[in-house]
Amino acid sequence: MSVEPVSLLVPLAGIAAAIFLVVVLVRRHR
Amino acid sequence: MDADALVHDYLGRLEVAAWSLAVDRRADLVGEVREHIATALAEAGRRDESTVRNILERLGSPEEIVAAEGEPDAVASALTATPTIGSNTDRAPWGAVEIVALLLLTVGAVLLPFVGPLLGLVFVWLSAQWTQQQKVVATAIVLTLLVLPVLLLFSVGTAAGVHTG
Repeated sequence: MSVEPVSLLVPLAGIAAAIFLVVVLVRRHR
Repeated sequence: MDADALVHDYLGRLEVAAWSLAVDRRADLVGEVREHIATALAEAGRRDESTVRNILERLGSPEEIVAAEGEPDAVASALTATPTIGSNTDRAPWGAVEIVALLLLTVGAVLLPFVGPLLGLVFVWLSAQWTQQQKVVATAIVLTLLVLPVLLLFSVGTAAGVHTG
């Protein structure tokens, strides 16, 4: 089963935003 | 200027300085500062102009308070006289809303393409842990990366249609 590279952008969207939000929280509470 | 006018003027300046915050966040902040001033005045037992000026000086300028809003520890230390204010900002960073938001953005994005991250954004906006600016950035990241594949697929489909048709 092949995965379209373009379709990888969909989960990447949430993961990128989650990383940003986690970094914000960690930096604020450090 | 009498004591009440000084407080009124200070809170007005605080509201103006806090225009960039979310409406509920701004109302919370102004409410906390108002409560702090009232508590400090009650503790001082006096309500004259110099007492009010001292309390407002200890608080710092409205701009400083708003700048510290992004750093809860700084707000808590600026408002040390009232424990109830500190308790609001000392909460743990990981509440249920934040955990659900991050799970939907990560695991949800894999299991439920499009729906998961969009639901995650709803929880991000419900959370009080992130500022409005941070929520806008997160939303922009998600929407950009969600719209991009749709546009790419659409353009590929259109190009293929042109070639074959």
